[in-house]
Amino acid sequence: MKRADIGVGIGLIILSTWVFWYANVYREKEIYIYGPNFFPQILSVLMGLCGIILIIRAMRGEVLPKTDRIDIRGFLRMVIAIGMCIGYLFLMQGIGFAMGTSVFLFVLMTFLGQQGLTIRIMSSMAASVIVWAIFRYFLVIPLPTGMFEFTF
Amino acid sequence: MDFELLYHAFGTVMLNPTNFLFVFVGITAGIIVGALPGLTATMGCALLIPFTFGLPPVQGLLMLLGIFCGGIYGGSISGILIRTPGTPSAAATLLDGYPLSQKGLGGKAIGMSTVASFLGGITGAIIMTFLSPQIAKIGLKFGPPEFFALAIFGLGMIITISGRSLLKGIISGLFGLLITTIGFDPLSGAPRFTFGSQNLLGGVTFIQALIGLFGYAQVFRNIEKILILPAVKSRVENILPTLKEIRESLKTIMKSALMGTFIGSIPGTGCDIAAFVAYGEAKRSSKHPEKFGTGILEGVAAPEAGNNGATGGAMIPMLTLGVPGDAVTAVLLGALTIHGLQPGPMLFRDHLDVIYPIFAGMIMAQFILLLVGLSGARVFARMINVDRKILTPIIFFLCVVGSYAMRFSFFDVGLSLIIGVIAYFMEYYGYPCSPILLALILGPMAEQNLRRSLIISHGDPLIFFKRPISAAFIIIALFVIITSYYRIKKAMEREAQMAAEKEEID
Repeated sequence: MKRADIGVGIGLIILSTWVFWYANVYREKEIYIYGPNFFPQILSVLMGLCGIILIIRAMRGEVLPKTDRIDIRGFLRMVIAIGMCIGYLFLMQGIGFAMGTSVFLFVLMTFLGQQGLTIRIMSSMAASVIVWAIFRYFLVIPLPTGMFEFTF
Repeated sequence: MDFELLYHAFGTVMLNPTNFLFVFVGITAGIIVGALPGLTATMGCALLIPFTFGLPPVQGLLMLLGIFCGGIYGGSISGILIRTPGTPSAAATLLDGYPLSQKGLGGKAIGMSTVASFLGGITGAIIMTFLSPQIAKIGLKFGPPEFFALAIFGLGMIITISGRSLLKGIISGLFGLLITTIGFDPLSGAPRFTFGSQNLLGGVTFIQALIGLFGYAQVFRNIEKILILPAVKSRVENILPTLKEIRESLKTIMKSALMGTFIGSIPGTGCDIAAFVAYGEAKRSSKHPEKFGTGILEGVAAPEAGNNGATGGAMIPMLTLGVPGDAVTAVLLGALTIHGLQPGPMLFRDHLDVIYPIFAGMIMAQFILLLVGLSGARVFARMINVDRKILTPIIFFLCVVGSYAMRFSFFDVGLSLIIGVIAYFMEYYGYPCSPILLALILGPMAEQNLRRSLIISHGDPLIFFKRPISAAFIIIALFVIITSYYRIKKAMEREAQMAAEKEEID
């Protein structure tokens, strides 16, 4: 945690310096002295101070003991799942919400190791169709239709 | 308190089957979400807010209130049956609930939890109904300095109790406040930190942040741990406690309910603290304190009455002053703003048509909770067994839908995903997420009123100390921050000492 705290502290100092400098652009946009730059600059000063305190405390060894560790294989699984989600966003625009969602759910369940083909197909289709129906008929909120524009 | 309005509100809420249906759906969804470990009432509300976009404000809010009450109660089911509290507020319930379950009395523990939750919830709801209009009357006298001091008070209270490090809580809060400065400046209208992107002109919306912080982040954690977490099996029999058992616990229930309501009404405390305080007090004042922790019904009744009492209590500062009592009420506050209603004293002046149905709906929700809880306990217990490999992808997809449906924007989905990834790492490094959410709500209030006050006083910051209410809020906030610092320091020292002792024994 010590290295992480020092890293975050340095990051906070860099961020706060940048915010303070960047917010100066808004100084001229207000007739009062307390213009759009005022609040972000106050926050940046406070954030910078917190960064400095975090570093000092970490250097003095005043860090929280770690309660949990990131499981590397689990983390990779998470990254792949996020990749699948990004793919799903494009797929949804191509083949529509209901079909895209069914495919996404089926693929993700398979990836996470869910057994049973029938249960995967049924649960992914049921979830996507139920939510699609709620949005389509009950809330009347449009969802992407993709090539099946006639469905909405 | 206008009894005529309340009477009409009861008529509107109860005689309209649609309203009844929305509360019912909310309670059921809340219990399911609460009963599933890893899903909190906050997350339940976050995922279901998008489903209220197309509804009239009252119906949407009734559903969310149902999720709130149902979620807090639902956490006890998994706590009792599998020793894993569905929500943090049920952590105290498992102390006696799980031993009861081991004795084969899990069903009875759930039954007692349902009755105590009902009585606690109804006490909180009634107190909220009668107390809120009086507090709002005081709030109507507030000017910019008071509102700024109130925002600082709210932020201070919440930052200090979230997490094991005060500094990290403050950093999270400041980060949230910084996010609120993205988009149009509330006073001059100048765009800030948008980098030329049209998508950022409106700022980071509440729903994007909410789903990122509490939806995606939880999904990512679930995916990471999905192969580590063991599968669970649970079932219950024989739900109803006897009248004698209820009568024996009634005094504890009512005392816990009142304490829970009071604790819940203090911004930053929330249902989990209410549950532990109620449990502690029940044990302290009991004639047989040694039996607590071994599996007694009173040990289930006290925390459940306490945390459900806190639901009504937490609504009081949220509705009357616009300061949320905890993370779930912060979500409800966000939901109100999404529906075009700004919580605070003005709500009691301008939107009585919404306020009174909320009061009536909160009371009605408790009766539906009792009904659904007692009749559906077996079903909810079975739902705990649903495989995470099915559930997690579905929640992931609901997060995508939720972040998309607000503005039909894939940019929003991407932004929520990024916030989710940040929140995932924050959790690991000890930075609490709740202060960000609360800063998103209180940030604009703090900024606008700080600048207005300074303009009024020609730059004199003493304006915040010259007005009694404003000075009182700031002094209390400072007092709480300082005492919290020492409390956390003491707790950490104790933790370190225990770790050292354990090492010595090993």
